[in-house]
Amino acid sequence: MSYAYLFKYIIIGDTGVGKSCLLLQFTDKRFQPVHDLTIGVEFGARMITIDSKQIKLQIWDTAGQEAFRSITRSYYRGAAGALLVYDITRRETFNHLTTWLDDARQHSNSNMVIMLIGNKSDLESRREVKKEEGEAFAREHGLVFMETSAKTAANVEEAFINTAKEIYEKIQEGVFDINNEANGIKIGPQHSPTNPSLPGSGSSGGSQGSGCC
Amino acid sequence: MFRSRSWFSGGWGRPKNLHSLEHLKYLYNVLSRNQTVSEHNRGLLVESLRSIAEILIWGDQNDSSVFDFFLEKNMLSFFLRIMRQRSGGSSFVCVQLLQTLNILFENIRNETSLYYLLSNNHVNSIIVHKFDFSDEEVMAYYISFLKTLSLKLNAHTIHFFYNEHTNDFPLYTEAIKFFNHPESMVRIAVRTLTLNVYKVDDTSMLAFIRDRTAAPYFSNIVWFIGKHIQELDTCVRNDADHQSQNRLSDLVAEHLDHLHYINDILCLNIIDLNHVLTDHLLHKLLIPLYIYSLSSARRKMSANDTATQRMSLTPKSSHHNSPKSHEMTNGKVSCVVALFLLSQVFLILSHSPLTQTLAWIILKADKSVFESGVDKLHDFFEYYERRKTEDEASGSGHSERDSDSPKENILSDKTNINITDEEKEKLADPAEGAASLKNFPFLETVYEALDCTENDYAALFALSLLYAMASNEGVTSDITEQVLRPKKLYVSKNSDVSKDALYNTYLVEKVLQIIIFSCQPSCRVRLVTLELALKLFVQLTVCDGKTVLSESHRNTVETARVQSMALLRNFYKSEEIFLDMFEHEYCDMSKGSLNVEWLCMDSAILLPPTGTPMTGIDFTKRLPCGEVERARRAIRVYFLVRNLVLTLNGEVETQLPLTNPQSCVQIDQALDLNNSDLIACTVVYKDGAKMRRFLVIDILQLILVEPDSKRLGWGVAKLVGFLQDIEVTGDKDDSRCLHITIHRPISGASSNRVPLLNAKFVFDDNIRCMAAKQRLTKGRIKARQKKMQHIARLLEIPGQSGPPSPAFAGQGASYSRSARPTARAENRFLFNINRGPGFAAPRRESSPGVVHRADESMRRLRDGESPNRAPNARRDSGRKETRSKERVKSREGSPRMPRPRSEEIPLELIKKAPQSIIDMAPKITILPRPQTPKIANEPEPSTSNEPPKETPKLDISVSKETSFIAEENGEETEEKL
Repeated sequence: MSYAYLFKYIIIGDTGVGKSCLLLQFTDKRFQPVHDLTIGVEFGARMITIDSKQIKLQIWDTAGQEAFRSITRSYYRGAAGALLVYDITRRETFNHLTTWLDDARQHSNSNMVIMLIGNKSDLESRREVKKEEGEAFAREHGLVFMETSAKTAANVEEAFINTAKEIYEKIQEGVFDINNEANGIKIGPQHSPTNPSLPGSGSSGGSQGSGCC
Repeated sequence: MFRSRSWFSGGWGRPKNLHSLEHLKYLYNVLSRNQTVSEHNRGLLVESLRSIAEILIWGDQNDSSVFDFFLEKNMLSFFLRIMRQRSGGSSFVCVQLLQTLNILFENIRNETSLYYLLSNNHVNSIIVHKFDFSDEEVMAYYISFLKTLSLKLNAHTIHFFYNEHTNDFPLYTEAIKFFNHPESMVRIAVRTLTLNVYKVDDTSMLAFIRDRTAAPYFSNIVWFIGKHIQELDTCVRNDADHQSQNRLSDLVAEHLDHLHYINDILCLNIIDLNHVLTDHLLHKLLIPLYIYSLSSARRKMSANDTATQRMSLTPKSSHHNSPKSHEMTNGKVSCVVALFLLSQVFLILSHSPLTQTLAWIILKADKSVFESGVDKLHDFFEYYERRKTEDEASGSGHSERDSDSPKENILSDKTNINITDEEKEKLADPAEGAASLKNFPFLETVYEALDCTENDYAALFALSLLYAMASNEGVTSDITEQVLRPKKLYVSKNSDVSKDALYNTYLVEKVLQIIIFSCQPSCRVRLVTLELALKLFVQLTVCDGKTVLSESHRNTVETARVQSMALLRNFYKSEEIFLDMFEHEYCDMSKGSLNVEWLCMDSAILLPPTGTPMTGIDFTKRLPCGEVERARRAIRVYFLVRNLVLTLNGEVETQLPLTNPQSCVQIDQALDLNNSDLIACTVVYKDGAKMRRFLVIDILQLILVEPDSKRLGWGVAKLVGFLQDIEVTGDKDDSRCLHITIHRPISGASSNRVPLLNAKFVFDDNIRCMAAKQRLTKGRIKARQKKMQHIARLLEIPGQSGPPSPAFAGQGASYSRSARPTARAENRFLFNINRGPGFAAPRRESSPGVVHRADESMRRLRDGESPNRAPNARRDSGRKETRSKERVKSREGSPRMPRPRSEEIPLELIKKAPQSIIDMAPKITILPRPQTPKIANEPEPSTSNEPPKETPKLDISVSKETSFIAEENGEETEEKL
């Protein structure tokens, strides 16, 4: 499957805020949440179209790896976008946002687009964090904000795609160094005439032992 | 391309209920009827695989018969069969298959279900299956699958993956094949997996890892790190113009990733594994490459001419700033890079066997050790360690005894309790003087790098290495003591020995040199270097919270303080935004002290120091560019050195920040406004909301109050802003209106500069309006002047305070009278109204809690050192006026001409409420600071001429200088009145 760009995302936030469900909901919409079945996954990829260009999103959930500092910092560094998720029915997940954000800002490249997501918007009756609070936090820290529901799929699509749009705009503005894969952006195989030796573009058979990037 | 939801269309006898055993049975039939993947059925297969995952997870939570069926029919074998087919777009199906497995393993909660899934070894067959890894999608799903499995590992499940009998552990061995995959996310997944594996406490599995894989895996890692830093070194060598900052920052980040990964492994505390890893790191990377790169300069030199060795202490600047000048021989990296990387090692790793060895080699390895070669270094260290243990065992475990070791001919062993002070100082440093220093090849290089004569390129790294070694938890005190930390002496019997600790005088002098250097105008020391030098300095000389500095070194510190002050004095008021800069820099600094670990994450410092901000390098990490930045730098240097002096004296800051939050009115505070000037107004917000308020102008603050319902004449503050942050403009259409913007005070908390208030104020008539405008404008100027005077006093600029000189008499009088509004008018013209800005009002002995420590020394200074400045401040100010005229536009609020006014509007008296009432609401505190205990309701010590019982005045500096009207507003105001 060819694409113009590949964007790598990470999803961060406290455990239980529904990160992996959001991911699955976006990458595989066919999982209709019925019977109160919550299904999530730690990795997914999906093709989207922006500006009539095919863009592939690869989303990596970092859940369960917080214990290792080397892992989190590498994840942050390798991503072009991050979804910072909290649970609107649990105030503490909102309170921890600053810590997550500090971490992200410290380890990521400065251009990483961060979207703030208040998840579980379907559980209005149990809401503990007002939408305005999320908005205010986002405004203060320069993030894009959205409330979503992995359950009803409300805004899930938009959250991922809007983030991609913002990354795409940054590429157009020349902010991102797209030839540097460490930024979490990769040019599609047929789109990189300037750099045909781009590693991992689909030709190398043996992946082991090839030089460090 | 997925035929999504096609199964909704029904037919084929599919059960209605998607989550049921029946549906799984149906899917089983689909799979068995479509065992060969083709163009035609792959969509159907993908759908079925996806549905199977969903049903299984539903079954896991609701109906155990689902799993029974799945196992009974051995459905995982279908998965394998599909995988093994090479035709018909198998990668498409493989991806879904792997995703199905991911979903399965990730979402299963029931332990038994998990065991079932793992029981028949199909999973291992899937793991070893040779997928088409050139397909990045397959690769990503595959590695995620392995990672997901590794997250399920524990003492029980490990047996499904590690086969003790066949000594086979495909999950691990397959994964580590990808440890150097070009795709970063794959590498991360591999690292995660390995850590998850090591974490499992299973002896035989760990034995397998150690015996079969540790050596090759770890040596591979070490080899790649080595290769990597060579690249990094090349990048640094070839980039004097900051062209490849991005590449460099990637390389540095990558090196940090490696170190953090190694640290994560070491922190798991698996003894066998750590031993192998430490061994590899030390002998194949850290000692031969990192440490030996430190010796290159010296070795080359000694080869050339032994006589030049004596010069090894004189600055050899060429060596520091151009790594290119060093030939990169036998795989060495430049000294700068080596220092930088070693700092990172000490900042990140804390595994004692590793860092201890490294620290010993750097600090204590002498020439004999050095000459015997790389391989021997470690042996020497072990010998040293053994000696120590023996010593301790034999009951004489005194650290001083260590130095009896022939391998450690350090002078300190002669340290004796009964020697004199002088002798001690001499002996204090193991590397005292050139003679002994040259015996420590690595330490010598580090010390040499501290030289800042030309620039501070290498000095920054040398400082960070020394700091990192001293702070490393794995390095024991017997190694750092006396070199990097003060060495405590056992208190001697003869009490005339003043010192009870020794410190590395040689190094301290080196660091002091950097500090003194930094205080010179046009020096080439970056702020970050200074800050780090100060940090190290404290570490070197402060013992149990007390400094052990000798008198002469103390004097040097004092010299630095005086010089930093002198440096800043040059900039005092030379920039019109000096005050804002001063406060902003203070705020910035209070955000926290330098984090050395973060500093060493920044690749920008690896390139030769530059001045231009166009590189995007942080201000503190480059040289100042232009006059404004030089002023900023001078401010910082002043703060840093001031802070050092306070630390050494064990004092707390009492003079800064300029605004003492405790003396400010807070929102919801009740104020006694009897006899104060209140201007009624209506505040009209941008959104149209209107509020009736009374405007009160305090010395520093603008306060909007509403009447207190409980007490007559009292008001409750509803909004407070600093006068220095206001902007006032009239309204062209309505003479009763003012547009007022109050900016937020500079604070470290956020960069949010949305104004605190931006609204239209409507007054009762145009007289009130003009009065308000005048007072706000004047208030702004006065508030700023007040602060400028505070700064002047801090900088000991003569004429700012101290005993009132004749010129100040009038002001002094006005001040003492300020409490009596009626007496003001006649005093007006006693002022020298021509004083320059910032020089004006007598500084009331204000700023609550301030101790005028500075005053005395200032006076000394004035008497002795500044013949140009006559004690007569009037003359002085006259001179200033001419100066200020020269720079007409130099700052807003400068009076251009004296403009005596007939209208005097007395500033109000505001009486603060007693503490009990003030506490009615949560306080907003701005930058709390340690403060000498102060009674909260007595903000102005100087008002003590009031009866003590009475509520003290908040602030009553009455503006006599009616001439002080902002340039831009002055004329207009006058016309209207």
